[in-house]
Amino acid sequence: MNVLIVEDEKSLALEMDEFLSREGYIVEHAWKKSSAEEKIFVNNYDFILLDLGLPDGDGFEVLKQLKNLKDREDAVIILTARSEVDDRIKGLDGGADDYLAKPFSLNELLARMHAITRRKHKLEKNEVKIHDFTLDIQNRTVSYNDDRLPLTKKEFEIFNYLVLNKNRVVSRMSLTEHVWGDILEVNSDSNFVDVHVKNLRKKLTQCSKTDWFETVRSIGYRINY
Amino acid sequence: MNLQAKFALYNAITKIAIILVLGTIILLSLETISSHHLDTRLAKKRLKVIENLDDKEIDSLIKSRQSFTDYNILKEEFIVLTAIPKAGKIDTTLTFTSETREIEGEIEIYRILNDQFEFNNKRYKLEIGETMTAMESIKTTIRFYMLIVLVISLLITLITDYAFTNFILRPFYKIIDQKLNKVNNPTSYNYQNIPTNTTDFKILDNSINSLMRKISDLFLLEKQFIANVSHELLTPISILSGRLENILTADNLPIEHENKIFASLKTLNRLKVIINSLLLISKVENEQYLKKDNVSIKHQLDEIYEDLEDRILDKKIVYQNRIKSDFIFTGNQALIHTLLVNIINNAIKYNVAKGSITIEEELCQSGYILKICDTGIGMEKEIATNAFNRFERENNENEDGFGLGLAIVNSIAKFHQLNIDIKSEKNSGTVVSIEFPVG
Repeated sequence: MNVLIVEDEKSLALEMDEFLSREGYIVEHAWKKSSAEEKIFVNNYDFILLDLGLPDGDGFEVLKQLKNLKDREDAVIILTARSEVDDRIKGLDGGADDYLAKPFSLNELLARMHAITRRKHKLEKNEVKIHDFTLDIQNRTVSYNDDRLPLTKKEFEIFNYLVLNKNRVVSRMSLTEHVWGDILEVNSDSNFVDVHVKNLRKKLTQCSKTDWFETVRSIGYRINY
Repeated sequence: MNLQAKFALYNAITKIAIILVLGTIILLSLETISSHHLDTRLAKKRLKVIENLDDKEIDSLIKSRQSFTDYNILKEEFIVLTAIPKAGKIDTTLTFTSETREIEGEIEIYRILNDQFEFNNKRYKLEIGETMTAMESIKTTIRFYMLIVLVISLLITLITDYAFTNFILRPFYKIIDQKLNKVNNPTSYNYQNIPTNTTDFKILDNSINSLMRKISDLFLLEKQFIANVSHELLTPISILSGRLENILTADNLPIEHENKIFASLKTLNRLKVIINSLLLISKVENEQYLKKDNVSIKHQLDEIYEDLEDRILDKKIVYQNRIKSDFIFTGNQALIHTLLVNIINNAIKYNVAKGSITIEEELCQSGYILKICDTGIGMEKEIATNAFNRFERENNENEDGFGLGLAIVNSIAKFHQLNIDIKSEKNSGTVVSIEFPVG
């Protein structure tokens, strides 16, 4: 999968590059609006990660240029620290697929990219295998040997996010933010995530051993696969 | 006491003073003039009397009695001639006195001339008196009418003064009302001058205008500053958090380092929350939001309950929603949602395990009141009064609020003209009431 990062903050772009490359994406950079427009004109990308405040113009114009090209399927995620109230609406109305406000967690970015991939390619990768379990992303269910587990919406979300970030420790904080959204002053120390994880683990353990579902003391959780 | 009343009072006092002085002068001069007038008449009469004296008359007068007294029928004047012994020097000066005399049972005030003279080697004392009663009654009448005229003119000038100052000061009160009292926000200030031809008021008006310009410039500067600073801080935070997340993906990371990095991410998250809260407050205060949504309070509360249900269940809190009516308020839905989330979130956060949260409604004349009551730890009175200030919070070891939740609530409430009130008692809970205006 090809990703174009349109971002004038080099350090940030490089961190995103490192993270996404490790996930298997092929990353290209554009530091300016003009070079971004050139690159978009020449190549097709699976993802365009677009910053709005570019040194030589507005990221919205890049989005407009892209939408003027025929037969393009590039998914656009707007990444911005800009604080205009209607930016999000403007971006989504302008044809962006998603909108992330800086600062964002790279895990969250990855989750959003996966969600877009699933939406765009309905038939591919709708089922994820994890040990003896199968996640049906489309129908938001988890099954064990074709038996569906009675998971709540939140439990599925947690499981899905952990599976997506498998082999990485996911902190309570980023899990909370992903599942409950960005409620201001969310209390990241609160253990109400733990209650859901405990229930989830109980339901999984009833079917098979879950020693791969690890609790990392005082930080969060990790699924090893 | 206002300026108008002071003007009127000052005018009244000065007028009364002037009237008193004038009245006294007039009355005194009336007294002097009338006395002087009588005195000259008496002096003329004395001359006549002295001219008409001759031996016979005096003799016959004096012989019969020790003194001679005569007065006319109406007791308006009298004359008394008395022989006095020749002892010492003769006093030839004329003296005038006013005295009351009883003549045949009638008491009257007389102006009396006293004189001594010698005639044929005898010394006499002469008293000529003329009544002052007519004069007194004239004086009383003059006094009375003067008083009436003066009082009437005083009242008339007072009324006209009051009306005139009222008219003159009208622009002043207009300036006070429109340029100071009715201004809630320097950005929505009307710079149009209040029409007046009084130079002082024009100066006042212009001074207030220029003051307001300065204030609103500073206001804008501060808001811009907060918005810019917040915005500029978010980018480096993004970089840092990306970097830390990449370090975490390394395979051979020692566990204690991993812990430190997670703790750093948490600190970054805290920074992010603070900055986002400040940004939100500054955007609300900059009025960058529209107020055009029809917000159903009931619906919002249901949504919020869904979002926060886990936390409520986790703390085993009894949650009672007693909202029956579907009140619709015109405002910004996202902001109203944030406001309610913050309040209910606090009610959960500062509640005790197995406590309760009750949401009630009240319809009154001025609007719709929503009450969120909890049985939490509450706070001291002085803390409750400062609760809406930024970064004010009670030190609490278990919770890591950043003291901005209620500041956000406050700015959103102000933006929507909601009255918000917080009542709390230590260890017995808190009641937040929000009054939504109707219409």
